Amino acid sequence: MIEIEGIGRRFNTRDGGSFEALKDVSFSVKDKEFFSIIGPSGCGKTTLLKMVAGLVKPTAGRIDIDGQTVIGPGEDRAMVFQQFVLLPWADILTNVGFGLELRGMSRKESREAAKPYLEQVGLTRFAEHYPHELSGGMQQRVGLARALAVGPDILLMDEPFGALDAQTRQLMQEDLMRLWEVEQTTVIFVTHSMDEAAYLSDRVLVMDTHPGRVREILDVPLPRPREESTRRSPVFNELTSHMWHELRGMMGDPTLPAPE
Amino acid sequence: MRSMSAKNRNRVLSIIGLAVGLAIWEVIGRLELSPAFPPVTAVIGAITEVWTSARFLDALRESLISIAIALPPSLIFGIGVGLLVGRYRPVEWALDPLINTFLSLPLVALIPVLFLIFGLGRGSILATIVIYTFFIVVVNTAAGVRTTDPQIVEMATSFGAGEQQVMRRVVLPSALPLMYAGVRIATGRAIRAVIIAEQVIGLIGLGGLVQRLGGAFAVEQLYAVILFIGLFGLVSMEAVTAVERRALPWVIAPEDTEPAFQGA
Ligand SMILES: Nc1ncnc2c1ncn2[C@@H]1O[C@H](COP(=O)(O)OP(=O)(O)OP(=O)(O)O)[C@@H](O)[C@H]1O
Ligand SMILES: [Mg+2]
Repeated sequence: MIEIEGIGRRFNTRDGGSFEALKDVSFSVKDKEFFSIIGPSGCGKTTLLKMVAGLVKPTAGRIDIDGQTVIGPGEDRAMVFQQFVLLPWADILTNVGFGLELRGMSRKESREAAKPYLEQVGLTRFAEHYPHELSGGMQQRVGLARALAVGPDILLMDEPFGALDAQTRQLMQEDLMRLWEVEQTTVIFVTHSMDEAAYLSDRVLVMDTHPGRVREILDVPLPRPREESTRRSPVFNELTSHMWHELRGMMGDPTLPAPE
Repeated sequence: MRSMSAKNRNRVLSIIGLAVGLAIWEVIGRLELSPAFPPVTAVIGAITEVWTSARFLDALRESLISIAIALPPSLIFGIGVGLLVGRYRPVEWALDPLINTFLSLPLVALIPVLFLIFGLGRGSILATIVIYTFFIVVVNTAAGVRTTDPQIVEMATSFGAGEQQVMRRVVLPSALPLMYAGVRIATGRAIRAVIIAEQVIGLIGLGGLVQRLGGAFAVEQLYAVILFIGLFGLVSMEAVTAVERRALPWVIAPEDTEPAFQGA
């Protein structure tokens, strides 16, 4: 269980003042839950996720994971990044094993241990290729395999499919669903896409901006496993139009795609 | 990206350029305008004789020994200091004035000072090689460190990497291409340095040989030695590039990595 209690974050601005990015954010995420965060650009989603990852310190409040306050990165968490962030100088297998290598395995051991995860994302035959030889979708599969390889209880994903085209994105969502059902991890998933949030999640946190706050937390009463047809169900459409209504109300952000 | 045929055309042009140059040299030599320009054929004739002479081989060995003693530690310390300068701001602030001074000074002006300190012997030659190579490696390594993608550092940190692991697993590999560029340039400069320093002493090494041949007006032999030095520099730098290609397979064309600073 992840408990976020009264989290706030201020950043110093260039003119010597300070800027409140997040204010009094509280919610909790249950074990094995798929929890999405959606909100206008700049509302503090990345900052919030990095706090759970232990990369950014809150200036108010605290985050507890299973009763332990987060003070830095930990072995129970792994992150997937929007820009994939692979090592350009290492082949794919070494990239997938990189988290394990940082946690004490030798290069040889980590490469060996990485193999099943590379297989899970269907890239076994690219084991000895370099990242620049792979498409964006394939690179993000590597990013995902790298995170899964460390066996995290909590997967933190910051707009992982944001840099991909629409078709690839949809395929990746379906793959992620499959993997998540097998791996049984808690997922916190930041996205700009209402469809994505509705399709993947158990619950969706809609954030308000200036400063970033909790606006509402929506339950997603869609049956699992989610299928292609899920996207056409009335509940799905109701949810996405509700989110669209909420987000549009906050700000006319042109980067938010309207639901189809 | 240049196509293969363009590359071939460039090669043909280089050969034509070289041939024309040599032809002009030959003509000037035949005209006997100046004792400084013997015909190129005479120089080529002197090459086999000079390059196999005991005097030349002794000189070459002397020069190589100086490079072998001074260059590796200079490179290693240069890389070490460069990593620190590139990563830690206080170190950068502390060393920047010193490094910049050495990079902008005409180093030839420092050679008499080195000879005052180290005397007329190998010590001064070694010191010359060091000042010609150390700072170049430092700035290029530091520039390489600064190319590190902060997102990769953050990624590694999220997987639990501490500063040491970040240094070893992220910063060092990120710095490699420019670091190698620095090593390549330093290798060329080490050869220059050893010749210049030996010329001052005038007795040992290839520099000494150049000095003595010049003094004796043995122009053909002099050119044979100079040609060797030029070729040697080229081959050494090519060798570094070859190692670089093998070590950095993800960099598509290492010779395209422009060094941050070539030096004066
Ligand atoms: N290190 C920092 N220093 C100063 N300001 C920051 C820093 N990190 C984030 N901010 C500010 O905090 C706010 C929230 O940023 P954050 O990146 O968390 O937003 P986001 O919701 O992820 O936006 P997007 O949807 O565009 O990714 C922004 O206004 C941003 O400019
Ligand atoms: Mg963000």
